[in-house]
Amino acid sequence: MMHLGWFLSFQVQSWNQMWSGNGGTEWNKPQLYVDVARSLERAGFDYMMFEDGSFVPDSYGSNHDWWLAAARSVPKQDPLPLIPMLAEHTSNIGFFATVTTSFHPPFMAARTAATIDHLTDGRFGLNLVTSHNVRTAQNFGHDTLFDHDERYRMADEWIDLCRKLWDTWDADAVVLDEERGVFADGSKVRPIDFAGEFYSSRGPLNTTRSPQGRPALCQAGGSKAGRAFGAKNVDTIIAQVNGVEDMKAYREEVTDHMIAAGRDPKECKVLFIITPVLGETDGEAQDRAERGRKAMAGAVEQNLASLSYATGQDFAKYDLDAPFPDIETNATQSSLALFKKLAAGKTLREFVTSDTRKSVDLVGTPDTVAGQMDEIMQEAGGDGFLISGSLHRRYVAEIADGLGAALRRRGLTRDGYSGSTLRENLLEF
Amino acid sequence: MSAKMFHLGWFLGNGFGVQAWNSEWAGTGATDWMMPDQYIDLARSIERGGFDFLMMEDSVQIPNAYQGSSEYYLRTASAAPKQDPAVLAGILSQFTEKLGIVATLTTTFYHPFTVARLMSTLDHVSKGRIGWNIVTGSSTYAAKNFGFDMPEHDLRYEMADEFVELACKLWDSWEPDAVLADVEKGVYADHTKVHTLDFEGKFYSSRGPLNTTPSPQGRPVFLQAGGSDQGKDLAAKYVEAIIANPPGVEKMKAYREDIRRRAVEHGRDPDTIKVMYLVSPVFGETDDEAEEKLARRERAKNSNIEGLLAGRSHLASIDLSQFPLDEPLPDDLISNGHRSSFANFKGDGTQTLRERILAHSATDAVHLCGTPATVAAQMDEIMQEVGGDGFLIVGTPMHRRYVAEVTDGLSPALRRRGLIRSNFSHQLLRDNLLAF
Repeated sequence: MMHLGWFLSFQVQSWNQMWSGNGGTEWNKPQLYVDVARSLERAGFDYMMFEDGSFVPDSYGSNHDWWLAAARSVPKQDPLPLIPMLAEHTSNIGFFATVTTSFHPPFMAARTAATIDHLTDGRFGLNLVTSHNVRTAQNFGHDTLFDHDERYRMADEWIDLCRKLWDTWDADAVVLDEERGVFADGSKVRPIDFAGEFYSSRGPLNTTRSPQGRPALCQAGGSKAGRAFGAKNVDTIIAQVNGVEDMKAYREEVTDHMIAAGRDPKECKVLFIITPVLGETDGEAQDRAERGRKAMAGAVEQNLASLSYATGQDFAKYDLDAPFPDIETNATQSSLALFKKLAAGKTLREFVTSDTRKSVDLVGTPDTVAGQMDEIMQEAGGDGFLISGSLHRRYVAEIADGLGAALRRRGLTRDGYSGSTLRENLLEF
Repeated sequence: MSAKMFHLGWFLGNGFGVQAWNSEWAGTGATDWMMPDQYIDLARSIERGGFDFLMMEDSVQIPNAYQGSSEYYLRTASAAPKQDPAVLAGILSQFTEKLGIVATLTTTFYHPFTVARLMSTLDHVSKGRIGWNIVTGSSTYAAKNFGFDMPEHDLRYEMADEFVELACKLWDSWEPDAVLADVEKGVYADHTKVHTLDFEGKFYSSRGPLNTTPSPQGRPVFLQAGGSDQGKDLAAKYVEAIIANPPGVEKMKAYREDIRRRAVEHGRDPDTIKVMYLVSPVFGETDDEAEEKLARRERAKNSNIEGLLAGRSHLASIDLSQFPLDEPLPDDLISNGHRSSFANFKGDGTQTLRERILAHSATDAVHLCGTPATVAAQMDEIMQEVGGDGFLIVGTPMHRRYVAEVTDGLSPALRRRGLIRSNFSHQLLRDNLLAF
């Protein structure tokens, strides 16, 4: 059995492509996401994970023009208010929304998360990021980002404080004694008087203990510090890695870190990001994948911009026909390390027009792809996959009603939800 | 040069029945076809895609024509099981705002009072977005479920005519200003404006009045699909949209002209009756991909002679398994069911049953195949030649991927050409249908 999730942002989705529908105007309304959530729930997905960022990118080209023209990573809305709306239209699927530990006060995050956990009946989780873009820092009044490893030390303390806040109400603190007129028992609600290196908070939280007690936690950072943080704290890790070997190594490393942190490795599910290409025949899917590869190879600007996004460096400045530039970053270190590895011996042009940045090839009919996913899971030993693809209803239908049904026929995905909370469902198998 | 703006409807070809259930993109169709979710998604999608209405076909029997048995139909979930679309219509109206919702109700099996009251109720709860697809029924087995033998074809139409006449009188039994709702005086309705009919017809009688108030549209929008002379006359006399399936552009044009001529004979403005052609466009990301998909589909269909025979047997209420495949059908064989379509199917006797069944396996009036942009151009061209008024998309088997191809691929492509609405200018289905 494998867990499935869908990776997306609350941003402009497909908007000027063949199957975009009204994507240009409906991306900021709930209906599209309601439709997606219901479809994924039908297919037995564990969760939707909303990535987020609080800045207008301007790394590529050293201004925001390209980004705004392409609607790439901007505009982007806050996923937190969307989650309860999606929960109202679903019963079982869980939702992760991203908050940044660097700029979100822990008390605020703990309270918002507890509130949404109540509103969703225990189907909410936080995806924790430390922020990698200097513009985010500047939007929150800082001149520059905190140093990469420092951000993770802060994150450690941040989540430690949140956990303490979530525990400020005992499970039996709400008494609801109507006759004696006692709603909550004061002796079971405690301040924490937390005073750390970066944060302090008196507590207690001013809402009751939520259905999951502690909302589920997710993490995506692939750097050494990021992985250690994830292994120590979270219920699910989403991983963007290339090839089955690296997938296997990734899961093993998480397992080792978890054992070192005194956790049962089964308590954290590692889901690998994939973008399956489906067709009614294997040939049709392969043609489609080939067209996609060609389009990607031709999209030099877009690929340079993606590099800029991940590294914070302006790739418009570099000579396309010189070797991949030797740069350092305070942004996404694992991504830059991967780019450098894949670009070895290549010019920048060769690198951005080559097909190097996908985790594994999953191309074919729904049944073919289900078989491929089965094999990968057997080899890599991971816990499942996170779909990340062009968000329009045709692709969602292909995944939910084509692939989802094929995986279920093979007994590889859930046929219903046994737990009532997101964490229970994650821990079910 | 492009065609005038035209109308789109969605023809739910298998009614509130089992849609895609064991094919590639069927999802959970096998187990949840009887729940409203899939239809809610369909209705909301086509509303987004600028469709005027969703029209739900219906039939009320387990087919038994082919080999005198229900075996084929039940094994393949063909035309059975099927639930009551009027119930679904009410639900769908609560999940949409402007889309018209058309349910099929068979005159032969209802009393006019029941239909008048049901449609009036649905028109109220949908805020004026209900249509009635008027059918007379065609299946012997359906009639037997109601305890009688199916009346002969022409008689059914004569009955239908009186049925609709009576229903209209019932809808008019309350004057538009009969409801006062005067809270202060304590007068809800003015009884002098609510009239009994004491209708005595050849087939039906009813005292009246209807025991519900006038609905937003007064009476539902009428649709009709019959291609026989009687069917066309009934359509020309009463209906606002006609579901047409003539093969090829020439016949499409002739059909429309015929209907418009009949409408004028009944004293109607021909622009108040929209002739909408059944089509099943096939889409791909490239034209080649779409053509290959269509070819695969045709091959699959044509290699399933049993399925073709069973389907045609059901439509005609004739067991076609009793006739040799490689001889023409007997000259004197006529259907008391879908009369005109069966005559058309049988041909002039020069071709064998096998040849006819293969020639007729394509349900489409025209070839619509390619990328959304290609299909939009094809539809544009056809409408220019035919003169109007629009298309009914038949997606069988219906699944969400196909719906997305139409509403999120084709609709934007048609909109870019200015061929379909980008919003609804009116609240009532009738007003939207007659808006252009």
